[in-house]
Amino acid sequence: MKIRSNFWSTVKKKYSIYMILIALFIVCSLANPNFLSVNNLTNISRQLSVTTILALSATMLIISGMLDLSSGSVLALAGVFAVSAYKTTGSLLIAVVVGILTGVICNVINAIMISTFKAPPFIATLAMLTVARGVALLFTKGQNILQLGNFVELGQGSIGIIPIPIIFLIVIAILTWYLLNHTRFGRSLYAVGGNEEASIASGINVHKVKYTAFIINGIFVGLAGVLFMSRVNAGLPNGAINYEFTALTAAIIGGTSFSGGVGTVGGTLAGAFIVGFLDNIMNLTNVDSYMQQIVRGTIIALAVIYDIRTRNRRANSMLGRIEDKGVVENK
Amino acid sequence: MRKKLLSVVSMALVVGLLGGCASTKPATPAQTDTASGQKTYKVAYIARAQSDSFAAWLANSVKEEAKKYPNMKLEVFDGQANDDKENSMIENAITNKFDLVIVQPNSGESQRPYVEKVVKAGIFAITTNARISGIEGASSVDAQPYEQAAVNARAALKQIPQNAKVVVLKGPSGNFHADERRKSWQKEFFDKRPDVKIVGEQIANWNKDEAMKYMEDWVQANDKIDAVISMNDNMAAGALEVVKGNPKFANILAYGVDGTAEALLLIKDGRMTSTCLQNANELAEKMLDASNKLLTGKEKVINTDIGNPLVTKENVDQYIEILKKSGSIK
Repeated sequence: MKIRSNFWSTVKKKYSIYMILIALFIVCSLANPNFLSVNNLTNISRQLSVTTILALSATMLIISGMLDLSSGSVLALAGVFAVSAYKTTGSLLIAVVVGILTGVICNVINAIMISTFKAPPFIATLAMLTVARGVALLFTKGQNILQLGNFVELGQGSIGIIPIPIIFLIVIAILTWYLLNHTRFGRSLYAVGGNEEASIASGINVHKVKYTAFIINGIFVGLAGVLFMSRVNAGLPNGAINYEFTALTAAIIGGTSFSGGVGTVGGTLAGAFIVGFLDNIMNLTNVDSYMQQIVRGTIIALAVIYDIRTRNRRANSMLGRIEDKGVVENK
Repeated sequence: MRKKLLSVVSMALVVGLLGGCASTKPATPAQTDTASGQKTYKVAYIARAQSDSFAAWLANSVKEEAKKYPNMKLEVFDGQANDDKENSMIENAITNKFDLVIVQPNSGESQRPYVEKVVKAGIFAITTNARISGIEGASSVDAQPYEQAAVNARAALKQIPQNAKVVVLKGPSGNFHADERRKSWQKEFFDKRPDVKIVGEQIANWNKDEAMKYMEDWVQANDKIDAVISMNDNMAAGALEVVKGNPKFANILAYGVDGTAEALLLIKDGRMTSTCLQNANELAEKMLDASNKLLTGKEKVINTDIGNPLVTKENVDQYIEILKKSGSIK
């Protein structure tokens, strides 16, 4: 009997997010017949591709106890630079390189502020959020860059029946999963996020881990910027507003803990799709804008409450085990 | 001893800082004489948000236009789409004794008491895009958001087919132009065409990417969408991006407001139906002309509007020329 209850508790703990996703999928399919069409599902994936790329890199940073509030603004900056590079050179490759380089430079600055100067990630990346958006607006004088020609192929094109942004998303998801689960860097990220002092004591170069995490974040954000501008067929200095919050929402709903050390690629993907399915079904059934905001906010609140309760339960059970072994003396 | 030293240093710092603040913002006289003997006037232009593409176009046009008036020294401030910041900037302009303050409100009513303070301080005030009406002594130069949408809506009465299904893209709630344009579509079109059904209506905050997302979902939910009714061009362009190349939506109609470069090019290509030009260059011209007349004593109060020309495929070329001159279309 105890084995059975342990099994269910493990299943619930590990797979609850996927069960929610499946349940939501079934409810949406019943709520509107158009939801299940191949076109609609492709649509959702295409819509989600940019924010999910940001969510994956956000997951990586949060696991290590860091945060990036600047990703939406850096995305816009990288995007307008990439578009300009394309309009000047006509080369898609150069545009992609410029976009990625912009993302990397901004994130190296983030890393310098956070790791070298010990600025809190919230403050440092908030500063970058403002600066990057300012540079994008200054560079474009606040105007959209138009007439992008073949640049749109990257965001709007398909290989076979699979849209190109989705291919990028799949590759980045696999890469992130591999980095987190099968490399020393991934293990270090979890260790640093779990307990930074202990990581230092065990010989992990925390400085290097943080810099590497931000550089990878820069690559992903830069690439997301290129995909975004290509998808909307314009260089929008004012685009991707609040995308960092959508990314954080996906990561949190997916079980990534703000206190660091906990998070998975699968969870974040599930979180992103939960948000995407909800947005989609609310639009398909023409739910009012204000109501949509209320639903989104409620889900974030529930996810955070769930995260806090799970952490408390885990802490209590750990304390219980320690007490059983008689390690805690003053009780 | 250490505590004493610390308090002395702190005091010195406070005094130093206060001194610094005072020296960075001198109370300059309202008018100064130039070498040529001509009076120069200090003019503050407080923009709603330089991140808003129309506001940025307007701010750039105001800067350009100001070059034609050597008797005016223009300073541009960015309200950053924040009422509190914009109101502080208006107060600073009063403290710094500008001769004229032009305010492009973030949300009109929040700026009203501050513009009233400008007038009370004996400084000329102009509100623009959108005007704050009913402030005694203040002037205004604006477009008419109701009319901007109405010119489209009146044309749409004949163009949108019977029993059509349409989608509506709205600007941010509480924004004067967004609300007035939507009200105009209701009175001038929807009330007169009860056969037309709205199958989707959402706030896309003037943004192209947000509009795209909504349109992608609406296209899945509806076999047929006959028209996109958008409160600005950016959102209309986003919706059209989604149905680009889709034969099912080849004849879709699309209406916007602003006359952005993208919209004019879409109209030229036959993909967008019409827009109403909100000509930032014309607004800037009228604003600086009004400023000059007020400052030189030719007029005491000016309330004026720019035109609301409907841009269609038939007349789009002349407006493309205007944007080419301003550098918005290359």
